[in-house]
Amino acid sequence: MIKITDLEKIYRTEDIETVALNKLSFEVKEGEFVAIMGPSGCGKSTLLNILGLLDDPDGGSFVFNNEEIAHYSESKRAQIRKRNIGFVFQSFNLIDELTVFENVELPLIYLNMKASERKEKVEEVLKKMQVMHRRNHYPQQLSGGQQQRVAVARAVVNNPKLILADEPTGNLDSSNGNEVMQLLTDLNEQGTTIIMVTHSEHDARYSHRIIRLLDGQMVLENSLI
Amino acid sequence: MIRNYFKIAIRNLWKNKGYSAINIFGLGCGLAVCLLITLYVVDELSYDRYNQNRDRIYRVDSDLKFGGNELRLAVSSDPMGATLKKDYPQVEEYVRFYTSSGSKLVKKGTSFIQEDRVAHADSTLFNVFTLPAVAGNTKTALNEPNTVVITESTARKYFGVSNAIGKTIEADKVPYKITAVIEDIPHNSHFNFDFIFSMDNVDYQYGNYLSMNFQTYILLKEGTDYKAFEKNFTQVINKYILPQAKQFMQIESMDEFTKAGNKLDFRLMPLLKIHLHSDRTPELGINGNIQYVYIFSAVALFILIIACINFMNLSTARSASRAKEVGIRKVLGSERKNLIGQFLAESTAMAIISMLVAITVAYFTLPFLNDISGKTLFLNNLLSVQLLPFLVALPFIVGILAGSYPAFFLSGFKPVAVLNGKGRSGFKKDNLRSGLVIFQFFMSILFIIGTVVIYRQLNYIQTTNLGFKKDQVLIINGAGALGNNIESFKNEILGIRGVSSGTLSSFLPVTSSRTDNSFSKDAVMDPKNALSMQAWDIDYDYIKTMGMEVTRGRNFSKEFGADSSAIILNESAANVLGYDDPIGKKIYTNFQSATSNELVSYTIIGVVKNFHYESLKQNIFPLGLRLNKYQAGLASFKVNSGNMESLVKQVEAKWKRMAPAFPFSYRFMDDAFDNMYRAEQRVGKVAITFSVLAVLIACLGLFGLITYMAEQRRKEIGIRKVLGASVSNIISLLSRDFLKLVLIANLLAWPLAWWIMNKWLEDFTFRTNIGWWMFVAAGILTVMIAVFTVGFQAFKAAIANPVKSLKME
Repeated sequence: MIKITDLEKIYRTEDIETVALNKLSFEVKEGEFVAIMGPSGCGKSTLLNILGLLDDPDGGSFVFNNEEIAHYSESKRAQIRKRNIGFVFQSFNLIDELTVFENVELPLIYLNMKASERKEKVEEVLKKMQVMHRRNHYPQQLSGGQQQRVAVARAVVNNPKLILADEPTGNLDSSNGNEVMQLLTDLNEQGTTIIMVTHSEHDARYSHRIIRLLDGQMVLENSLI
Repeated sequence: MIRNYFKIAIRNLWKNKGYSAINIFGLGCGLAVCLLITLYVVDELSYDRYNQNRDRIYRVDSDLKFGGNELRLAVSSDPMGATLKKDYPQVEEYVRFYTSSGSKLVKKGTSFIQEDRVAHADSTLFNVFTLPAVAGNTKTALNEPNTVVITESTARKYFGVSNAIGKTIEADKVPYKITAVIEDIPHNSHFNFDFIFSMDNVDYQYGNYLSMNFQTYILLKEGTDYKAFEKNFTQVINKYILPQAKQFMQIESMDEFTKAGNKLDFRLMPLLKIHLHSDRTPELGINGNIQYVYIFSAVALFILIIACINFMNLSTARSASRAKEVGIRKVLGSERKNLIGQFLAESTAMAIISMLVAITVAYFTLPFLNDISGKTLFLNNLLSVQLLPFLVALPFIVGILAGSYPAFFLSGFKPVAVLNGKGRSGFKKDNLRSGLVIFQFFMSILFIIGTVVIYRQLNYIQTTNLGFKKDQVLIINGAGALGNNIESFKNEILGIRGVSSGTLSSFLPVTSSRTDNSFSKDAVMDPKNALSMQAWDIDYDYIKTMGMEVTRGRNFSKEFGADSSAIILNESAANVLGYDDPIGKKIYTNFQSATSNELVSYTIIGVVKNFHYESLKQNIFPLGLRLNKYQAGLASFKVNSGNMESLVKQVEAKWKRMAPAFPFSYRFMDDAFDNMYRAEQRVGKVAITFSVLAVLIACLGLFGLITYMAEQRRKEIGIRKVLGASVSNIISLLSRDFLKLVLIANLLAWPLAWWIMNKWLEDFTFRTNIGWWMFVAAGILTVMIAVFTVGFQAFKAAIANPVKSLKME
């Protein structure tokens, strides 16, 4: 599904050049659950942003679904992103002005889906995530765990092939964290590819494979299955 | 998608109530000004459009320079219209108005009403102008002498019904038969009469091409080029005017007339231009001024721009709090165009709400506009076919214009950066935003300086030495009605306690409809020695009552029997004559008859110090004062009473005893004087209103900006305080940047304000100076306003507990 080869990302200021990703290469197959780990500043988030088509690499190749997309324009990337990729963030990133229902509905609006169809899909996913009773609440009215469930609901509502999770349990207590990890595992078992950045060895154990980064390079790859 | 945009927009507005209120109120004020000025401008531009022949009607105007005096007249001679129709096939019809006989006393029951809106007109009036009949036949209405056409309201006023055909009214003791009743003339007409009498009742020496007393309108045939038609006037002058001028002025050709420094010319003034472009004497009503239409339109536009700038500034300053939302939307698949659409929808929603606010504000402030503009405008006028599309489109245009910059700015955020908490700074140094703040204050300073200069000039007019004393002079109008009793009336009034002197005269030193007479140094009227000047009829006490000063010679005196052939000149007239000592010299005039060669002589017995008898916009032209109390229509009294009301009542009682059938009407000379500057006073009021509004809107914007800036810099302020910064350090930190902008705005606005206001003052021959202190005062005022606006929020930010702001991070 994803194949990156010699991927590079360099941040430059006037005096300093920081190599975030240094000729990084790996492959993720469809249906895999991959954890990316490493110390702060090792390039995990940069990698996730590039994989999520939120950022451009400076060099190397990025093949997504057999398509070379390393140098696609922003609007082309947005087209691929909205159809194929769901995101889960550490800080949930829900829109405060929208209700739970409306937050989850948003990706479907951008896909120009009809209102009746949207309603059906949103309600289905809210039920699945067990937050249907909170559908008319605003994010601030929910607990952290509930907010992350909503965020996961939003990430999966359009049935993406890939979910990118950036420390999804970072802001949650262990019980809520475990619940979210279980949700991701369930989704993976239903066929969704998941790439997750985490600091937590405990969370990483839910994945099939751990890629460890240091200074923008892969230093170790452990298979857990 | 659109629904989603508006949903978010409304929730955002509600969530940030303070910000929304500032933004909506600011934009609402701007839009309200725009609506009100649109009403005013549309009304001004609508004058005379009700006429079906509007594009073919022209007034014949005369330009005359004679004896050093230049006249721009809205009238021409009585035969002009008929001559043009007879000689030129392009002229389909003509009509004349005659208003020089002034107001008429119309009998109602046993009493009289003084009617000012009266005119005599030719029977062709209705072939030229569109004045629909309610009753009677306008085609034949004015064919006969002693006929009158009245308006519907007048018919109701006098007879209680619209159909007053066949009834008779008595005006100035002459009976007139009502032959037609017309609809009331629309308010947006350059003339507005209630009574139109037959021209046959005008007591006039007809056939005189040299005497200009008739407003003459011609209706040109379709397709006639009026500019080309004007060339025919040379022919008219040579064929008809020159032969009469030869008899009277001893000239052989018009060349000779022109070589002596004189001029006679005629022009056509298109009907639709009269209201806004004509400033001649005598106009049939108070005309507008196209300059003010331009100025007000520009003001409306600038105030709207200032309000839009607020909107842009506040929206971009708020970018920090919207950044996360932009990031999330982009991650979820929103393209930039979707976000631009969303932000434009938000700004349009806000503009629509602002429009509702604007309509409310306009509704409550319209009476004020009517007061200062002297109009009767209604908000319903906005719902007219022409204006409704504008009213509907305006919030969308404003929303899109004002929202475009924030939309492009906000939609340009990089999702990775904003979701990581970078690139969120809503108040980083932004040249565009600084430029916009400078522009707002630049406009405010222009308004402030403009207002100060206008008020200085109005004050100058009030306090300058006019050469006469206008205060506490009571004028009794229509004193001619007293007939032979006029002298005893004067004496009776002089007996009232508090009346120190009184005079009977034809004119007073305030603007009124007056014409010049030709005088000559020699017993033969030669254009080289001619002097064109007004001659007023006064009595022995005029100079004393008016507080004028005789600089040479003497005043009229009962001790001198021959004073009936004496004249007192003003200094301008004396200068034009050029005598070292004019006292005892003679001047001649054919005042009695313009076509006669018989000249009458007057001996100069005194010179009175120049006094301003026209507006201060004009020079003081030559003037002569003659002794002839029986021509007087005005009785004026110098009064000095603590109880003016009681004094006027006593005067009225005496009037009612001596002229019981005639209405008592009085005014004070200083009011009459102020009337001459009504246009300037209106502009002054408008200027001060708009200055306050411009400053208020600019301050609202500044307040919003500083609020967000303080919010954005909370962490920085916290750190600075922890490191030892005092409250004043913080206030200075936050205010400094804004004050710099206000100072720059001052420096930019000063030269332009100086230039504009100098141009405005050039209209006045007698005017105040623009002092350097006005600029400094405007500067200090704007800085103080800015300090006050910014200071409050800066202080709030400075006293906040740093622990709190640092914890939040």
